[in-house]
Amino acid sequence: MSTSTGSPLSTLREMGARRIGLYLVLLAGIVFYLIPVETAVATMFKTQQAFTATAPYVPALGEGFSVSSAIRAWETLRPGLVDSMLMAIPATILSALFGSLAAYGLTTIDWRGQVAVVVLIIAGIFIPYQAVLVPLTTFWFQIWPGLVTGFVNTVFGFVTGGNWAYPRSGNVQLIQLTITHAAYGIPICTLLFRSYYQAISDEMIEAARLDGATAFSIYKNIIFPLSLPMFAVTLIYQFTQVYNDLLFALVLLNDPNTQVATQRLVRLTGGVQQDFTLTMAGAVIAALPTLLVYIFFGEQFAKGVAE
Amino acid sequence: MAQLTLDDITKIFYDDDEGEIRAVDSVSVDIEDGEFLCVVGPSGCGKSTTLRMIAGLEDVTSGEIRLGDRVINDQPPAQRDVAMVFQSYALYPHMTIRRNMAFGLEQSTDLPKDEIRERVDDAAQLLGIDDLIDRKPGELSGGQQQRVALGRAIVRDPEVFLMDEPLANLDAKLRADMRTELQHLQEDLDVTTVYVTHDQTEAMTMSDRIAILNDGKLQQAATPLECYHEPNNRFVAGFVGEPAMNFFEVTREGETLVAGDFEYPLSASVADTLGAETDLTLGVRPEDVELVAEPGSDHDYDAVVDVVEPRGNENTVHLHFEAGDHESFIATVEGMRTVAAGDAVTVRFPEEAIHVFDGATGEAIRNRDMDTVEQIESAV
Repeated sequence: MSTSTGSPLSTLREMGARRIGLYLVLLAGIVFYLIPVETAVATMFKTQQAFTATAPYVPALGEGFSVSSAIRAWETLRPGLVDSMLMAIPATILSALFGSLAAYGLTTIDWRGQVAVVVLIIAGIFIPYQAVLVPLTTFWFQIWPGLVTGFVNTVFGFVTGGNWAYPRSGNVQLIQLTITHAAYGIPICTLLFRSYYQAISDEMIEAARLDGATAFSIYKNIIFPLSLPMFAVTLIYQFTQVYNDLLFALVLLNDPNTQVATQRLVRLTGGVQQDFTLTMAGAVIAALPTLLVYIFFGEQFAKGVAE
Repeated sequence: MAQLTLDDITKIFYDDDEGEIRAVDSVSVDIEDGEFLCVVGPSGCGKSTTLRMIAGLEDVTSGEIRLGDRVINDQPPAQRDVAMVFQSYALYPHMTIRRNMAFGLEQSTDLPKDEIRERVDDAAQLLGIDDLIDRKPGELSGGQQQRVALGRAIVRDPEVFLMDEPLANLDAKLRADMRTELQHLQEDLDVTTVYVTHDQTEAMTMSDRIAILNDGKLQQAATPLECYHEPNNRFVAGFVGEPAMNFFEVTREGETLVAGDFEYPLSASVADTLGAETDLTLGVRPEDVELVAEPGSDHDYDAVVDVVEPRGNENTVHLHFEAGDHESFIATVEGMRTVAAGDAVTVRFPEEAIHVFDGATGEAIRNRDMDTVEQIESAV
């Protein structure tokens, strides 16, 4: 702490040029990173006329101020936001949970062939989304419904009379998308948890084994509570990934009533006359959930990354 | 309560580069009920592996581990009725001290909650950590964490305590205190204890018996004094005792041991006990090396003082022979004796104090006369 008890100005004088320089650079950094966000928010609350008349980053006041774009964007996006949440939250939690369990099995418990499994899982991270689009659609729209329909009509044929058909509703498609995202997220989550678990003391796990804890009890009582910071990391990372994805959603959701936020955001762009205020409003609203996730899990996230 | 028996146990690790590694080789020891056995040896001698096999953390390649009449080779760790204290303490950082200590009982027994609570409280009181019981391990000092680790073992009320260098992470003063305390605790609880350490002082001071391992093989299992005065072989003789025993490679010629620097004539009675081997090692403990005023016997030699390390009650004196190859050796003399570096002195290796080992195998052929040791002790 500074020894001075005087005014802020005298404190500033004491800090020296280096410090002041550092703060100036940091300040410039903040401005640099926040300008696009500020521009988006400023644009969102403008009329078309004000948008064309003023610089993008200057907020409109009085005449040019309007919330109509924001309201229209919100109206369009709202059902999508709900569907996105219904899809992204379970998908994220499932990825993190399965990733954590898999990593536990691959580090703390000893068995043959671990390395081969780890290699396979790591390979899974590098499969590009585009490469699996065709097999994925064939699976979810032909193979899987065919299998389930056949199974149900065979085993429960006395009830269905062979006429049961796989429900191809939007909600079912949303579940399918959720499972796809969960599965696609497991490899990276496993890898993240694995490196975290490798740092956990072997002696502690051995102590727990001597204490009589079973493999699952060790996970529940020791590994899981200790990996909460890592859960924050994977939850934030996975949520952002899944929530922002458009490609899988475009391919797997074809019911116009069940669309995730990213799909609905597309509706707000383009057209004959590009309405930038509407697009910006949509972008800001669609980005809110990921921002909130960072704010809520931020502290844990920092802990997980630092350890 | 029961006796723990290690019957010819062997552990072989397989390594891709080096092939078979015999970490523990046919070790057999009986540990009596309530006995405190220290397993000592240099790093990599297999002492920790032995302990981990008893705990059930490593499989036994061959041989049997018995607790009482029960063979426990294939039992999982939790069912062996053993508790282990680790060098790193291995406490659960996210649990309070109470939960750390209770965890074993919660996991391995059906005891009711208040019974567990009571046992944890008792153990905490015994160890003087009852006021820390609601804190987490991170808030405790090393010594306190050490006590918690002990407490975690005590609440289990096991047949056998296994301790893997539990004091190694403490500072010297605290280590000495804990050593005494551990000894008292073990006596009070009267639980069979196997204690692994690389510190021979710990082994000497704490244990009923010491098992000395080298290269996976058991060298000797005996009381500390036996290991000290009647070592089975050269390794034990050199490992036990601080400063270590002086060794001189000698050749026997008739009734004389000939070294590079000196000749050591033997009396007929001693010479008779040495057998036919001529390639020998002569051993003398530093405290048996006497500094005498002037040459008086056949066992006196001229030497020069290199370094003097004062320790208060005694001085450790590093010397070398004046003749021959100037081989160096160590003597311990009383603290008030004034010897300085560079002094020419006369040293005596009394015949009753010498050890003779087989030069090739290191087996002890003759150990020092125990009569004289007892004389000295009773005189004090």
